[in-house]
Amino acid sequence: MKVLKRYGALYVMMVPVIAYFLVFAYYPLVKGLQTSFQDYRLMGDRPYVGFANYSAVMHDSMFWDAMVNTLVIGGGILLFTFAAPLIIALSLNEVLRTWYKKLAQMVLYVPHLLSWVVVGGIWIFMLSPDSGLVNMILVHVFHRAPFNFLADSTWARWIMIWLATWKEMGYTCILFLAGIVSINPSLYEAARIDGATRWQQLIRVTLPQLGNTMKVVFLLNTLGILRIFDEVFVLRNPTIATKVDVLMMYTFQKGILDIKLGPASAASFFVLLLTLALTLVVRRVTRFDEV
Amino acid sequence: MSDRFERLGWKSKAFDTLNALFLFALMLTMIIPFINVVALSFSSGVASMQPEIILWPKAFSAEGYAIVWKSLDIWRPFMNSAIVTVIGTALHVLLSSLAGYVFIYPRLPGRRIMLTFVLITMMVPQEAIMIPLYVVNKDLHLINTLSALVLSGLVSGFSILLMRSFFLNVPYEMAESAKIDGAGEFRIFLTMYMRLAAAGLATVVLFEFVGRWNMFTAPVMFINDSMKYTLQVALKAMIIDTNSNSGTYMVTTNVRMAGIIISIIPLLAVYPFVQKYFMKGILLGASKE
Repeated sequence: MKVLKRYGALYVMMVPVIAYFLVFAYYPLVKGLQTSFQDYRLMGDRPYVGFANYSAVMHDSMFWDAMVNTLVIGGGILLFTFAAPLIIALSLNEVLRTWYKKLAQMVLYVPHLLSWVVVGGIWIFMLSPDSGLVNMILVHVFHRAPFNFLADSTWARWIMIWLATWKEMGYTCILFLAGIVSINPSLYEAARIDGATRWQQLIRVTLPQLGNTMKVVFLLNTLGILRIFDEVFVLRNPTIATKVDVLMMYTFQKGILDIKLGPASAASFFVLLLTLALTLVVRRVTRFDEV
Repeated sequence: MSDRFERLGWKSKAFDTLNALFLFALMLTMIIPFINVVALSFSSGVASMQPEIILWPKAFSAEGYAIVWKSLDIWRPFMNSAIVTVIGTALHVLLSSLAGYVFIYPRLPGRRIMLTFVLITMMVPQEAIMIPLYVVNKDLHLINTLSALVLSGLVSGFSILLMRSFFLNVPYEMAESAKIDGAGEFRIFLTMYMRLAAAGLATVVLFEFVGRWNMFTAPVMFINDSMKYTLQVALKAMIIDTNSNSGTYMVTTNVRMAGIIISIIPLLAVYPFVQKYFMKGILLGASKE
């Protein structure tokens, strides 16, 4: 009673938040698990069918295509959105003029603010074979034939990876920069006294000191791998679909467009389990807990 | 910092120049596409279909903007997006702040359970439960309503933790003395914490504003009535889906590009003013994961 009187208002403050999470996070989770074991029809009864949905998904070659695409594209994005921002952050850190550093940081961050529809719209146009800027450069500067990037299945995955890197590198860069700022200046001082050049300081001091930040960034990026959706949804077209349709696209297709909620839920739970597994693996490998 | 570069030899200078050029080239890959889009959007319909425009419009005209706004009625999705973004952001910030405030009390009974309850929601990506979420929205008769979009991501563990870390910087003694003077929790929350953590609020408001303005998965799933389309969905139909000849108007390149510009103006307008909060927010957010 005393507790309620003293903290009552605080519990009241939590009520809407807890209610929201119960209805829009926990309930769907349970519901999804249930649906994945049901023959889910919009009308009538919904009999339980055991693991039939799961086995249907497992025997669907489209699912495995989606899995391969997710791992290849997601893995590519993971590597590139790790390496590119790291290089940029190191480079920014070496810039002597503050205004230039600020300007570069600000400009590089802008694409992160834009939606995938906008980024996709811009690049579909930039890469288009007849009037896109990239092809104009190819034709006029390099005297090559125009190339339809987004209709070529060998290039499609690369373009997904490359555009995601272009969009997100400024964001991740900020995390690395923060890591660099927090490095103890006396380490640089000591290195200088020992006669280290700027390059040596970069390799011997900055990089090793960034270890923890790298782990955090890597973990955060790993969690994103299986969630790729907007980019593919916006940039895909029938010619390249088999090379770029990712797991979320598969779920969307099955669940929302074909209204096969059972198999779609089963596929979602694969994704969920994979996310958990990936997290555990990365935590283990990077020894995240020791940070 | 500056003494680090005191004795700049020629090698160091060459390194600086190369470094600056590298960043400049990178910036160009960001800037040129935008200039190209702007130039195209201000060209006439015929000119914008020719492969000649790079940095400057040809046959200058604002017809692209007129067509996209009036004839293609992009103002309707624009308003839908504005409504969802403003209401959604306001509610998101309010609810996340309330919860963030609750979590600054270290001795609150049940705090651990509630915190775990919130943290678990952060582990489950929204995308992984999108099918059951669709069913929940359907059962609540929210499909094809803007309410579904306001409710999508109405509160998030990330914002709660972010607000909490801003609130923790507010001196506890102030709340203590206010309480002795007889102020209730709600009053302390509203008049002291919300005001003193204004910088934090700005950060969360911005994250949420940008996120909601750009929201795509939820409207694609929950909305199929074209009157309720949000800007991003309408834009996709207009600029990306091929052979999109909307009604009698052929969607020429200048129209598409004008659509892009209209959709990013709200974002670009606020970004320079709040950039510093933004950076702070990203850092706090990352370190509190």
